[in-house]
Amino acid sequence: MAMLEIKNVSRFFGGLAANSNISFSLEEGTIMGLIGPNGAGKTTLFNCITGYYAPSRGDILFRGQRMNGLRPDKICKLGMARTWQIVRPLAKMSVLDNVMVGALLRTNSLNTARELAREQLKVVRLDSKATSLAGGLPIGERKKLEMARVLATQPSLLLLDEVMGGLSPTESEEIIQLVLNIKKSGITQMVIEHQMRAIMRISNRIVVLSSGEKLAEGTPQEVANNRAVIDAYLGEFRA
Amino acid sequence: MESLRKILPHKTGSTPAVLFASAVAVTALFLFPKFVQNTYVLHIMILIFLNILMGSSWNILGGYTGQYSVGHAAYFGVGAYTTLMLMQVRHIPPWYGVWAGMAAALVVAIIIGATCFRLRGPYFVLASIAVTEILRVVALNLKDVTNGAEGILATELPVLSIHGTVITNFFSKVPFYYAGLVFVLLIIVVTWIVQRSKLGYYFQAIREDQDAASSLGINITFFKNTALAISAVFTSLAGSLYGMYVGFIDPPTVLGLELSVQIVLICIIGGIGTISGPVVGATVLVPLSEALRSNLITEELIKSGFVNAGSRTGVFLTENLAHAHVLIYGILVVIVILFMPEGIVGFMKKLFAIKKKESA
Amino acid sequence: MTIFFQALISGILIGGAYALVGIGLTIIFGVMRIINFAHGELLMLGMYATYYLFTLLHIDPFVSILATIPLMFVYGGFVQKVFINRVLGALPQNQILLTIGLGLVMSNTIMLAFTSDYKILSTSYSSSSVTLAGMSISVPLAMSFLITMCITAALYWFLIRTDMGQAIRATAQDREAAQLMGINVKRMSIIAFGLGTSLAGTAGALIAPTYYIFPQVGGVFTLKAFVITVLGGMGSVVGATLGGVLIGIAESVGGVYFGSGWKEVVVYTLFLLVLLFKPSGLMGKSRM
Repeated sequence: MAMLEIKNVSRFFGGLAANSNISFSLEEGTIMGLIGPNGAGKTTLFNCITGYYAPSRGDILFRGQRMNGLRPDKICKLGMARTWQIVRPLAKMSVLDNVMVGALLRTNSLNTARELAREQLKVVRLDSKATSLAGGLPIGERKKLEMARVLATQPSLLLLDEVMGGLSPTESEEIIQLVLNIKKSGITQMVIEHQMRAIMRISNRIVVLSSGEKLAEGTPQEVANNRAVIDAYLGEFRA
Repeated sequence: MESLRKILPHKTGSTPAVLFASAVAVTALFLFPKFVQNTYVLHIMILIFLNILMGSSWNILGGYTGQYSVGHAAYFGVGAYTTLMLMQVRHIPPWYGVWAGMAAALVVAIIIGATCFRLRGPYFVLASIAVTEILRVVALNLKDVTNGAEGILATELPVLSIHGTVITNFFSKVPFYYAGLVFVLLIIVVTWIVQRSKLGYYFQAIREDQDAASSLGINITFFKNTALAISAVFTSLAGSLYGMYVGFIDPPTVLGLELSVQIVLICIIGGIGTISGPVVGATVLVPLSEALRSNLITEELIKSGFVNAGSRTGVFLTENLAHAHVLIYGILVVIVILFMPEGIVGFMKKLFAIKKKESA
Repeated sequence: MTIFFQALISGILIGGAYALVGIGLTIIFGVMRIINFAHGELLMLGMYATYYLFTLLHIDPFVSILATIPLMFVYGGFVQKVFINRVLGALPQNQILLTIGLGLVMSNTIMLAFTSDYKILSTSYSSSSVTLAGMSISVPLAMSFLITMCITAALYWFLIRTDMGQAIRATAQDREAAQLMGINVKRMSIIAFGLGTSLAGTAGALIAPTYYIFPQVGGVFTLKAFVITVLGGMGSVVGATLGGVLIGIAESVGGVYFGSGWKEVVVYTLFLLVLLFKPSGLMGKSRM
């Protein structure tokens, strides 16, 4: 049984089909890349998967269980968590408190949550900023904070929405290492990203969306050599 | 001492020094009526307690959870009317009546929460105002139940006695003082517990970013309603105490928009989302408005020679400053929002942070 | 049945003034995204200005609006520049609280200056009515309705045909884009608030012959203005026009069938229903 199955999912906004008949599945422990031009429907798909919209048609199955129309907090409790394309730090709370909010999903004890939070901050290397206000962090650290916070919820499936957007090459490299380490710990991931080299490096499989439809699916090599993908999006890309 | 340190929260304001100072203050407040018999001073203290109670209750929903209700008079009025009506009509002593008041406020809170929490930001504010206005007009029109515009006079205050020994007949202000003090301590403890618990973290997450909080597994509806329930229950307690102390309630006073605004003001001026905020706010607002109401300020201005009692300014002030307390409220709001949006407490914190940086 | 139509007519006539109030509020929201809780107080100021122009200078209310309109516009611009402008980037809650504070200052200053006594502006025609098709129509209400229609028509013309009107609409639709196109959005905010204030004040002037005048009269109108703008869609002038008339009718008819003490409940309940089921209103959001 696949970790995540997307079956014929469509999402309409009035007359516009933001997602149209999309199907693919995600195997446990792997990393799937979701790429495509702006407006292709990637974030809409994420929002459908994580409960912010209900799909207009089709089914979303997480470990065989139908997720359509479940509330976002329920979905997170079941083990599927996401980060946001435009980061959402809890600005007036400290970095540590931010991550604790994530950790409190799995425990009622503040002390346990604090320990879990500190561990996650160490993983993303933000422990020196534990007492700083989240709202005052630069963008690179905000992205790391968001990852630490979402990891604290102990997900089995993690959806990352352009987690490298706006980062310097050094910062992006840090994130890539983080993603690979997360994979090592057994967590399945789906990653929306525009940075092609990164996606090609980390993904086991890639799904390409364009104008709301699935254009292609396959290994990074297959996708990079797919004529339709090259025409619509990649240009002459050498993997 | 070390083990004591471990179980205490790590947040500022809870160091041993602060706790010790608080303990001293509380003891002093308990002993206060033994040394001060001036009924007017006691009256001011009771009003301050009431305002702290109202502000702190609102703070849980508005300051911590970020839902700015400008209709909190609903819970205040429901508490006051329930307690007083049960006492006058059915001769139920108020120490049972307040529980009924709290239950009624809880019911109102559930209804308001179920209908209004799907609205965000300013729309929620508007809805909260509309609901309380509906309650006020209902109270005004259901004359058979609430006496309408004539209001309810509390004439049947029973004697409080335990096992035959009379404790108080509520003629003096002292029992109200102690009731107010106990309620204030109660809400402060509740706020403190909320702040250092999972509830507090979740409330603040909702305030900061509702969608982010939801994506972290927080059931927004449940926690908003929990905050509202706590807030409503304690606001109704304030309403019941007010009704019994002042002895008279009517729809504009206990269900009016002016009251709702006053409740929000206490927190805004003091500083929302902090324990000390409402305390500071009440301690500033009550003496100020009382000083205005009783012409104290005008008398001082005349005494000090600033203003001639017979001059036009003098006459104007003597006649009108007493009615100006709402005007002062308005001016205060404007000044605080424009120059001190974090309230007095927030402003002080910033001041100390800057001083720390300079001396470091 | 005649009672119903009678109520309907009265409702439509008063609805005209309500529409002006609503349009003012919706323009302010459309351009600045600020929910102006002092809107009723602006109406109240218009009422008092009209009252004193009448009692002291004997100028008929329907004539004095020629002075009230520009005066209120200038006042609104002043309030925007000095106070509202400073909180344009703040939390919506703080913006609301600021306008609440300003409203309190306005109503209580008037109370200090002129006492809380109810004032009545009685013109020679205040209680006269004409009979049309078996129904009695209040003359002052009818006149105010006619003037309202003229003002609304002028406003539409201004918004659609003039450069400045289009600039205002552009700012309402997309502030950043408008700025990039060279529109002085700061000035637009001042003008929008001035316009909104002027409309509210004019509504106050128009209903002054038929309403009790007292400092706290604004509060009720603020809430009604919100109901109207939410009903019509925040930011939609057409919506506010329709909403105003609808609320006038609902209130009038509701008053007849439920008793005048309950007519406010009718309005507020309608408000809650709209907020809950169609919060974007009849016309949807952000369209002028």
